[in-house]
Amino acid sequence: METIIIKATERSPEVNFDFDANTFAIKGESYPEDVTEFYGDLLLKLELHLSNLNGETVNFTFELIYFNSSSAKVLMSLFDMLEEIAEEGNTVNVVWLYESDDDNMEELGEEFGEDLEAANFKMKTTEG
Amino acid sequence: MSFDLFKKENSIIENGYTLLEAGGIVDEESAKEFKKLLSAYKKLFKSTRRLVKMSDRNEEKLNALAGTLDEKNKMLEGLSSKLAKYLSPQIYQSIFSGAHDTSLTTQRKKLTVYFSDIKDFTQTTEDMQPEDLTYLLNSYFTEMSGIALKYGATIDKFIGDAMLMFFGDPETKGVKEDARACLHMAIEMQQRMSDLKKIWHRKGFEHPFEMRIGINTGYCNVGNFGSEDRMDYTIIGGEVNLAARLEASADPGGILMSYETYSQVKDIVETEARKPIHVKGIRREVKPYAVTNIYDDMENNQHVIRHDRVGFNLFLNLDKLTAEDRKKAQKTLTDAMERLKS
Repeated sequence: METIIIKATERSPEVNFDFDANTFAIKGESYPEDVTEFYGDLLLKLELHLSNLNGETVNFTFELIYFNSSSAKVLMSLFDMLEEIAEEGNTVNVVWLYESDDDNMEELGEEFGEDLEAANFKMKTTEG
Repeated sequence: MSFDLFKKENSIIENGYTLLEAGGIVDEESAKEFKKLLSAYKKLFKSTRRLVKMSDRNEEKLNALAGTLDEKNKMLEGLSSKLAKYLSPQIYQSIFSGAHDTSLTTQRKKLTVYFSDIKDFTQTTEDMQPEDLTYLLNSYFTEMSGIALKYGATIDKFIGDAMLMFFGDPETKGVKEDARACLHMAIEMQQRMSDLKKIWHRKGFEHPFEMRIGINTGYCNVGNFGSEDRMDYTIIGGEVNLAARLEASADPGGILMSYETYSQVKDIVETEARKPIHVKGIRREVKPYAVTNIYDDMENNQHVIRHDRVGFNLFLNLDKLTAEDRKKAQKTLTDAMERLKS
């Protein structure tokens, strides 16, 4: 599948989905006017791609500054998807990047990470 | 295939009903309980959906409000930076930090008051074009204010060509340090005026400004004066009048101070006592001192030796001594040494 690169806007994040390398990243702020319109196609393609993986390694990076409740639901679906393919025998590495002084994003990362058991989850500050 | 944000939840409900309809749960009681559980899950899911929607809407409103607040803040910042130019920085800071009280109250404080004006301003400027006068006054006030801010003066007001400033409120470093800061400021102002006179003269102004400065230290009333609708943070009192009176008696390009200020700075300044003056509102006779030199940076000044302690005062200015004076001074010091040893 062709790589999808979407530039960030004021309300939507930067997306970089490299299907060939199994490397995926979402970065920035996420409160699009229509969550279904922004994430719908992306998630369908991702789901289709991930469901065909067998014994492969997937790297997913989240670097978010702010997201609304609907985007939070999208993230939960993404985490579910990643956990499912990890349970199926793929190696899934999820990295949650946040700014060191952003307590909110740190806390949310911890909460999302709790749902992952088969997938590897790491939290890192953007400053390294 | 279309995207559904709640795909998983919908499919759970759908599967539940399919199971029920297909008679997948044989036991009637269990089927009844499962149906109840399924409808409760459906209800919970509906509430979650509504809550997510509501939360999105609230966040949207909050974001819009934050944007408006940002704009308002920027506008206020712009306004306050304009307003700051009409106020002394110390007063501005204390208003904007919330420490400043805007009621009509005053306090009595020991301040060092500075008053200055331009000698013969009216006559000097009579034949001047308004544009030239504006240029001269603006450059004069800009230069002097810059020096005043450097020394931490509270600029009270500009009255025509005159300036009223004070040290000791709202911030003070103590009466002595306040008086010294005022003196240093006044000296730097006169030094700068002497440079400016040359610049103005070169620019074609035949009679450049000459400034006179009066300084006095004493108790003043400081605070908000005026009406509840329009007030000024200023100082009043006989001691303020005295500073103005000293200024009027000062030499052009000179600094005249009262004994009260002199007593706070006498170890760093050389003065010339002037004839006592009487000022309305001040009962005591005022002894003015004209500043002739400053010996501030003692360690770097190799020509001045100064030592002050109880029972021993020494002030030696080698620059001012003639060869004969030096011999006399040597003799005085040798005699003093011998008496000290004995």
